[in-house]
Amino acid sequence: MPLAQTVTAVPVVVDDAKCIADKGCTVCVDVCPLDVLRIAETLDGRKTAYMAYDECWYCMPCEADCPTGAVKVNLPYLLK
Amino acid sequence: MDEIRDGMNRIDCDILVIGGGTAGPMAALKAKARNPGANVVLLEKANVKRSGAISMGMDGLNNAVIPGHATPEQYVKEITIANDGIVDQAPVYRYAQNCYDIIQELDRFGIRFQKDKNGEYDVKKVHHIGTYVLPMPNGETVKKALYRQLRKARINISNRYMATRLLTGEGRIAGAICVNTRSAEFLVIRAKAVILCLGAAGRLGLPASGYLYGTYENATNSGDGYALAYHAGAGLANLECYQINPLIKDYNGPACAYVAGPFGAYTANAKGERFIECDYWSGQMMQEFYDELVSGNGPVYLKLNHLAPETIGEIEDILHKVERPTRGTFQAGRGTDYRQKMIEMHISEIGFCSGHSASGVFVDEDARTTVTGLYAAGDMASVPHNYMLGAFTNGAVAGEHAGDWIRDVDHAAIDEGAIEAERRRVLAPTLREDGIPPNQIEYKTRRMVNDYLQPPKVTSKMELAQERFAEIREDLSSGMLVRNSHELLRSLEASSILDCADMAAAASLFRTESRWGLYHNRVEFEGRDNENWFCHTLLTRGRDGMPTLRKQPVAPYVVEIDDTEKDAYYRQRVGSNALKTVAAE
Amino acid sequence: MNGIFDDFADFDDLEENLADPDPGARRVAVMELADSADPAAIPLLARAIGDPDAGVRLQAALALGEYDGPETSAALAGALSDSDAEVAQAAAASLTELKEAEAAAPLLSYLSDATPFVRASALRGIRELRRPEALVPATAALEDASAEVRAEAVGVIGWLKDEAGLAALIGATHDPSAEVRLLAVGALGFSQSLDACAALIAALGDPDWRVREVAAETLPKTASPEATSSLIDVLSDDAWQVRLKAVRSLGKLRARAAVQHIGRMMAHPLSNLRKECAAALGEIGDSAGLAYLGAHRDDQDPDVRKNVRWAIGRLSA
Repeated sequence: MPLAQTVTAVPVVVDDAKCIADKGCTVCVDVCPLDVLRIAETLDGRKTAYMAYDECWYCMPCEADCPTGAVKVNLPYLLK
Repeated sequence: MDEIRDGMNRIDCDILVIGGGTAGPMAALKAKARNPGANVVLLEKANVKRSGAISMGMDGLNNAVIPGHATPEQYVKEITIANDGIVDQAPVYRYAQNCYDIIQELDRFGIRFQKDKNGEYDVKKVHHIGTYVLPMPNGETVKKALYRQLRKARINISNRYMATRLLTGEGRIAGAICVNTRSAEFLVIRAKAVILCLGAAGRLGLPASGYLYGTYENATNSGDGYALAYHAGAGLANLECYQINPLIKDYNGPACAYVAGPFGAYTANAKGERFIECDYWSGQMMQEFYDELVSGNGPVYLKLNHLAPETIGEIEDILHKVERPTRGTFQAGRGTDYRQKMIEMHISEIGFCSGHSASGVFVDEDARTTVTGLYAAGDMASVPHNYMLGAFTNGAVAGEHAGDWIRDVDHAAIDEGAIEAERRRVLAPTLREDGIPPNQIEYKTRRMVNDYLQPPKVTSKMELAQERFAEIREDLSSGMLVRNSHELLRSLEASSILDCADMAAAASLFRTESRWGLYHNRVEFEGRDNENWFCHTLLTRGRDGMPTLRKQPVAPYVVEIDDTEKDAYYRQRVGSNALKTVAAE
Repeated sequence: MNGIFDDFADFDDLEENLADPDPGARRVAVMELADSADPAAIPLLARAIGDPDAGVRLQAALALGEYDGPETSAALAGALSDSDAEVAQAAAASLTELKEAEAAAPLLSYLSDATPFVRASALRGIRELRRPEALVPATAALEDASAEVRAEAVGVIGWLKDEAGLAALIGATHDPSAEVRLLAVGALGFSQSLDACAALIAALGDPDWRVREVAAETLPKTASPEATSSLIDVLSDDAWQVRLKAVRSLGKLRARAAVQHIGRMMAHPLSNLRKECAAALGEIGDSAGLAYLGAHRDDQDPDVRKNVRWAIGRLSA
């Protein structure tokens, strides 16, 4: 069967002004139990973390362990 | 990102611990402490820093057997009665004897338990016979403290590797085949002993929200341990005794009535009245919860609004900081202030988890499974009502025993053909041009679990489930599509979930009586049938590759329970369902 | 085996990164030092906690929570006066992680710091180390102008469980702050002395219900012969929480003299209280309790019914 692209709103938000991924920080990506976060390049060539897969247990290590307070975990819309 | 690379590494170790959540780190530490010369590897699908059921810590112990508050004998009695007598007491007794040492050791690790104003453990009373609740108001540091100990002991930690199958040879354990979840490269680990600590099967039923990851258990706990043990030929006990929990509705996380209980909070119906008869968090209690939910008195709530604001503040401090901190966000979003409103509760989807019920990979008092050299501990091993402290304690038991056992054995020979076959199985979905993605395979499996396996259990529905599972199995093996290494991880989890679904159906069909309250409420077989079913059920993989079951006797009790004690307990159950159960005996 | 196992820190690289002009890079280096679990990280972190960038200092304060010993406590205590409140808070939190007795010494000199927060945090760090030499300075701190400091001082003395600190604790049961009184009353539980009992009995008349509640809860830990009559007196306390603890304590003490009083309270509208009364009557084990229990066999609350059945079973046995 062919595949389709379906949009989904994701709960984890990263403030790229605060994120220090381009300094080599990967804390949130490292600690996520479900491995849903990745590092991407922003338009101005910097790096930032973002939620790549909509598979979140809203458990919070990414937010709690982020050294700069850049990560915010919201509840997935389906259950909030 | 997450491209699929071709690669295969091989390493040898003495003891391989799979799963770095709760039991696993303790098993690795104890194995190394017992046998400092041993090469111990701790393998984890996520990252040991924040993996497993207690990723964000835990707000209390509810089965702490602390001298002066409870005795091991009392504890064994209560667990035996709470599980309708189907308990091998030796592992429970071992746990009860060892757990206080483990509490003190965790304390030295820097894990915080509530202490009184003189620095003594502040154990809270909840039961008549024993007192088992020890709150952990600063329990958010558990994983951090464990990680620190692992690093100090210089344990080899391997993160982001998922074990896909165990290797056996010469009739015993030989190692494991693993795949990296970010590169799809393989890792074959030969080991003299393997300790399975992979947690619950918490992604079995589908949460009412429909969100695949909105589970009660940490959603990484997809039953991989049950599937690994099953394919390696180990026996699994009483899988029909599901895990079902009372939870905050929609949020699907624990309301932690046991934390709030000692402060005076309780579970109430819509009228604000208490309704639970049962003394212990068990299938019987869940039956009472279920009955109230579907009665005119529902829904069910956790009631705190009669407490003083100071007390509620204290409870919030615990509940909103530890274990599931987003509870606070959720309640704020719903406008639920504990001071005014009761908290709406619901029951969870089904799962397997000995931590809360009684099913799991069968183990003896040394945490040994039925496969030589293979151990299991924590939520996936069959020691009932184990909770977090049980995972730590039995992980320690497994680690120490394995530390000794490997001294006299060498690596078992492994079958290269098995490695190649497994590699082909794992990579097959990556070789297709199109097909069904893992999330759809998983969603359908789990929806069928809800439709047909969720209690009350009905024979014809469970048989239909088996038909649907067979169809999905065919889709999974010949039509699943995986485009990157992350999806590969999900495809392997989907396979574990389907194995668990088949095991749940087969075990439930086998036991033709009702037992453990809601957990195994079989509508056509009302009440307990002690004459035919006072036994464990043991599930293994049959020659056709599907589950096969047999009865296994309950081991003679270590702590005797006389009939008057049993009677006293059953008399306490005055609900209609309980009366039926007593009458059937 | 590179790539298969987690790396252990390379200190040469980290030291270089700690001198990087970019604060973000320094911060990442500090995080790696936290993970190394190698005491060689402590001097590097002690330096980083003085970094010009507040973010780096915060990270170092958190990282030092992974370590122990006097060098760690000295570095953390210094950071309690950080100009950035977040750094100071993190240092205070890390101080509570200390376990090694030798870590106490550097903290003692901060007990005379000008800032109450510093004094309180140093005391909190000392508390769990249970150092006898902390008794005198902690007792002196009970005279501190700040209630926060006095509360932590009570904590230190309570954890020492030393009769030599008893007079100080008893004095603190009259503190103007209810918070301090509450802690002091709870801390008296270790002592079997008559003075401690008398102070606990006096605290049953404290103006704050939470203090009375703790007093009622703590009293059975002591061996006072007057405990029973005093607890019976507070069965008529205005706050149900106090009554509940008094009932529970009378049950623990197996106070036969309390049976009628507790029995009469079985008619209270609060089910939590009825439940506790039934349990206490069972624990006391006097058959006179049966008369009160019988009427509640069919109590509307299942928990009360359970406790009543249990108690009747015990009294009839």
